[in-house]
Amino acid sequence: MTRLKAKNILGAPAVVLTLFVLAGLLAWHQLSPDFSRLFVQQSGYDPRRLLLIYSTLPRIATALLAGAALSLSGSLLQQVLRNPLASPSTLGISAGANLALVAVMLAFPALQGLSRDAVALFGSAAAAAVVFLIGARRGFSPLALVLAGLIVGVWSGALAAILVLMNDRYLSGLFVWGAGSLAQQSWTIPLSLLPKIAILSVAALLMVRPMALMELGDSGASGLGLSVKRTRIVAVCIAIALAAIVTSAVGVIGFIGLIAPRIAQLAGARQMKGQLIWSPLIGAGLLLLTDEALVLLSGASSTFLPTGAITALLGAPLLLLMLPRLKTAQRSAPSPSQNANRTSCEPRVILLASIPALLLLLIGAIFFGRAPDGSWTLLAYLHWPDVLPYRLPRITGAFAAGAMLGVVGTILQRLSGNEMASPEVLGISAGATLGVTAALFLLPAPGMAAQLGFGGLGAFAVLIAIFLFGIRSGFAPERVLLTGIALGAMLDAFISVLAAGGDPRAIIVIQWMSGSTHLIDISKAISATMAAISGLALAFLGRRWLELLPLGAQATQAIGIRVDFARACLFVLAAAMTAAATLVVGPLSFIGLMGPHLARELGLRRAAPQLAGAALAGGNLMVLADWFGRMIAFPYQMPAGLVSALVGAPLLLILLMKRRRTAQ
Amino acid sequence: MSSERLFENLRLSRRTLLAATALFAVPTMEAAADPISGPIVSLDYGLASTLLALGVAPAAIASLADWDTWVVEPKMPSGVVDLGTTGEINLEVLASIKPALILTTPYLAPLRPRLEAIAPVLELTIYAEGGEALQRSIAATRLLADAIGRRAQAEDFLARSEQFFSDCANRVKRLDPPPLALINFVDTRHARIYCGAGLYQNVMTRIGLKNAWTGPGGYWGFETIGLEQLATLDQNLRLIAFEPLLPPNALDNLQDSPLWTSLPFVRDGRVSVLPGTLMFGMVQEAERFARILIDHLEKLA
Repeated sequence: MTRLKAKNILGAPAVVLTLFVLAGLLAWHQLSPDFSRLFVQQSGYDPRRLLLIYSTLPRIATALLAGAALSLSGSLLQQVLRNPLASPSTLGISAGANLALVAVMLAFPALQGLSRDAVALFGSAAAAAVVFLIGARRGFSPLALVLAGLIVGVWSGALAAILVLMNDRYLSGLFVWGAGSLAQQSWTIPLSLLPKIAILSVAALLMVRPMALMELGDSGASGLGLSVKRTRIVAVCIAIALAAIVTSAVGVIGFIGLIAPRIAQLAGARQMKGQLIWSPLIGAGLLLLTDEALVLLSGASSTFLPTGAITALLGAPLLLLMLPRLKTAQRSAPSPSQNANRTSCEPRVILLASIPALLLLLIGAIFFGRAPDGSWTLLAYLHWPDVLPYRLPRITGAFAAGAMLGVVGTILQRLSGNEMASPEVLGISAGATLGVTAALFLLPAPGMAAQLGFGGLGAFAVLIAIFLFGIRSGFAPERVLLTGIALGAMLDAFISVLAAGGDPRAIIVIQWMSGSTHLIDISKAISATMAAISGLALAFLGRRWLELLPLGAQATQAIGIRVDFARACLFVLAAAMTAAATLVVGPLSFIGLMGPHLARELGLRRAAPQLAGAALAGGNLMVLADWFGRMIAFPYQMPAGLVSALVGAPLLLILLMKRRRTAQ
Repeated sequence: MSSERLFENLRLSRRTLLAATALFAVPTMEAAADPISGPIVSLDYGLASTLLALGVAPAAIASLADWDTWVVEPKMPSGVVDLGTTGEINLEVLASIKPALILTTPYLAPLRPRLEAIAPVLELTIYAEGGEALQRSIAATRLLADAIGRRAQAEDFLARSEQFFSDCANRVKRLDPPPLALINFVDTRHARIYCGAGLYQNVMTRIGLKNAWTGPGGYWGFETIGLEQLATLDQNLRLIAFEPLLPPNALDNLQDSPLWTSLPFVRDGRVSVLPGTLMFGMVQEAERFARILIDHLEKLA
C-alpha cells in the first residue's frame, strides 16, 4: 500500500519532469543561439531578438497555456462523467466552438476579442448540449457519449470546412485557424488567455472537494448534503468554457485533452485532486513538446504544419489503443422487436401505402424544377432529351446511395442495439475519402476511374483495420463503431493537415466529402443501382440474424446461431455497401441514421419491413436533398450530401428527443 | 453568413440570366474562318480572360458571381451565363447553351467524361507539376487560338504582351526597386506568400523584380507562412498585400503587434495594399499584375 502510494506521488511528477526536460531541450535548441540577445539591446534592427521575444517565447507560453487548459477540461469531463474517453475533442466541444466561429466570422470577418469568445462558448455549449441530450438517453454510457461526441465533432468540422469552401475559393485562412496553428507574433494571445484560464482553474480547484465527495457514489454524496446534479453541471460548464476559450484563441487543438489525463492516470494520479493538478501540467508539457518538435520539423522541410491537426493525428490512434481498456457491460439493448407484435400486422399496409407517396416525390423531383433561365417549370416533353441525361442519373444515383445507407443503418443499429449507429460512423467513408485524397496527390490528374479505385482501396483498408480490432473484441458492436469513428477522426485530421497548406487539391477532397451528385453519369447510376439491389437482397437473406441479434449475444447463441460469424458477415456487407454509397454521396449525409429512424417511426419494427422501409426512406431523403441542392441557389448547386446533413442532424435530434419523452 | 451569400448568388445569377436570355453569346467578332463556330464555354477564369483577349466572349463561365472579386479585369461582358461553382458545374444549364467547345483544366479532370458527352472539350494545362505558369499560359493561349481559329489574334496579343513585359522590364530598371514580398493575408497571423513556379514569380523574373521570399512553393506558386517569418528576410523589402484582405481589418490589428511594428519595412512604411489580381490566371492576369505593381512602384518613386 505504501509502495503504491509512493508510486502515486512520484509517477506523475516524473512524467511531467520528463516531458518538460524533453520539450525544454528542443526549445533550447531553438533558443540557445539567440538567448543572450534577450538581455542585450543591440543598436539597429535585430530580427533574431525580435523573433525570440515576440514569436518564439509567446508561442511557448501559448502552447503551455492551451495544453494545460485543454487537459484540465478533459480531466474535469472524465471525472464528472466517469468516462475515461471524455475530452473536448471526443465530445465535439472544440469542433462545436470552431463551427460557430467559422459561421459567424463569415458574416462578420472583423470579429475579435470578447465577442469571439462568446461565439465560441455558444458553439461549444450547443455541441455539448447535443451530445449530452443523446448521451442522457443511454444513461451517460461512456461509449455512447463518446460516440455521439465524435459524430458531432466530425460533423461540425466538416460543415465548417464546407462553409469556408462555399464562400472562399482561393484563400483558406479559416482552414489554417481551424487546424490549430500556434504561430504567434505578439503576446496578445497568451496574455489574454492567462487570466481567463487562471479564473477557470481556480473555479475547477474549488470543485475538487465536492467532486471527491461524488466519488463516494451519488447517494453517498447527496447524503452529505451535496447537490450532485449541480456539481456536475458546474464542472461541465467550466470544462466547456476552457475548451471554448482555447479554440477561440488558437483553433482546434485535437486530443490533448484526452491524452494528458490518461497519462496522468497511468502515472498514478488517480485521485480527483491529483488528476486536476497533474494532468494540466502533463498537457502543457505535451503540447509544448509536440509544438517544438513541429517547429524543428517544419523549419527543416519548409512546409506549414498546423499543431492542432498534428496532435489530432497523433491522438486518434491513442484513442484506438485505449479502447480495449474500457469495460463495457454486455447489455442487451431495449430490443426493437419486443414491440414487434403490436405492429406486426401493419407493415405491409404501411409499405404499400407509402409507395404511391414516394413515387409522387420521385416524379416531382425529376420533372419539377427550374429552367436554364431560372424560372420554375414543369419539364415539357420537348425538353426531355436536353435535361434528363443530366438529371436522371444523379437522381437515380442519389436514390440508390440513399437506399444503401438506409439499409446499412438498419443493419448497424440492429447489430449494436445503438440508435446512434450509422454507416458514417463506421469510418469506411473516411477511408474512401483518404483514398481519393491519395489519388489527387499521387497522380497528376486522376480521372473518375482512378478516384474510384483509390477510394475503394481506402475503404477496404479501414475495413481491414476495423476487422483486426473487431476480432480482438469479439465484434462487440459498440467497440467496432467506436473504432470506426476514431479512424474517421484520424483521417479527418490528416485531411485538415493537407487543407491547411492551402493546396487547391484539398478543396477537391472537401468538395467530394460534401457529397456532390453532379458527377454521376448513366454507368455510375446503373452500377449504384445494381449495388443497392444486391445489397438489399443480401440484407434480406440475413433478416433472421437481424431479428435475433438484438436479443443479446447469449440468447442468440442459445438459438444456435454462430454470433461471431453472423456479425462478421453483416459487418462485411455493411462495409461494402457503405463504400459504394460513399463514393456516390460522400461521407456526411447522415441518411444512414435517418432512414432506419423514419422506418421505425412509421411502425416498421421487424427486420425485413424495417430494411425495406429504411431503403425507401433513405433513397427518397437523398433525392429530396439533391432536389433542394439544385433549387435553392440556382444555378449554383449545393451538394446533396451536405444538404441532407444540414437537414438530417436537426431532424434526428427532434426524433431522439421525441422518443425520449415517450420512453419516460 | 452562407445563406446570405446564397441569396446574393441568387440575385446575381438572376440578373445575369435575365440579361442572358436575349443573347446566347456568340463570338463577338467575325467567325467565318473559325474551325469552331458557336458558343464557347470556359470553366476556368484564366482561360475565360484569354478568350476575351482573343476577341471572343464566352457564352458561359463558372463562378461568374465571383469574377469581380478575383479577376476584376478584364470585365466580363454582360450576357454571359453563370454555370455555378467549379465544385458542382450546373450541367443542365451548360447543356442548354449547346456549346461548341468547352474549355477546362486538369483541375477538373473528374468532370471531363460528363463534359465530353455535351460538347468537344479542350483541356489546357497551366498549373501542374514540372512547368512554369507564364510559359505554359503562353503555350496554352496558342493552343486555344488554334482551336478557335484565332491564331493571328493570339500572335498579336502575345506580341503585345511581350512588348508590354519588355517595357515593364525597362521601367523596372529605371526604378531599381527593393525586393518585394507578395502576400495574401489568410488571417491575422498567417499569410500566403507567392514564389516558385507560379504566375507572380514568373512575371517578376520576366520583368526583373526581385522576390524577397526564395522558398520553393508548389506548382501553384505559393507557401503558407506565419507572419513572423517575414522578420528574417532582407528588411529592405517592400511588402505588397493583395486584396481581398482577410479579415478586412488585418492591417489594423497588426498595429497592436510589437513584432510587426518593429519590422523595419513596416516602420518605414514600406507596406502596400494593391487591388486583387488572379494569382492562378494566365497572360492577361500576368499583365494586370505587372501593371498594377509597376504603376504603384512608380508612384512611390
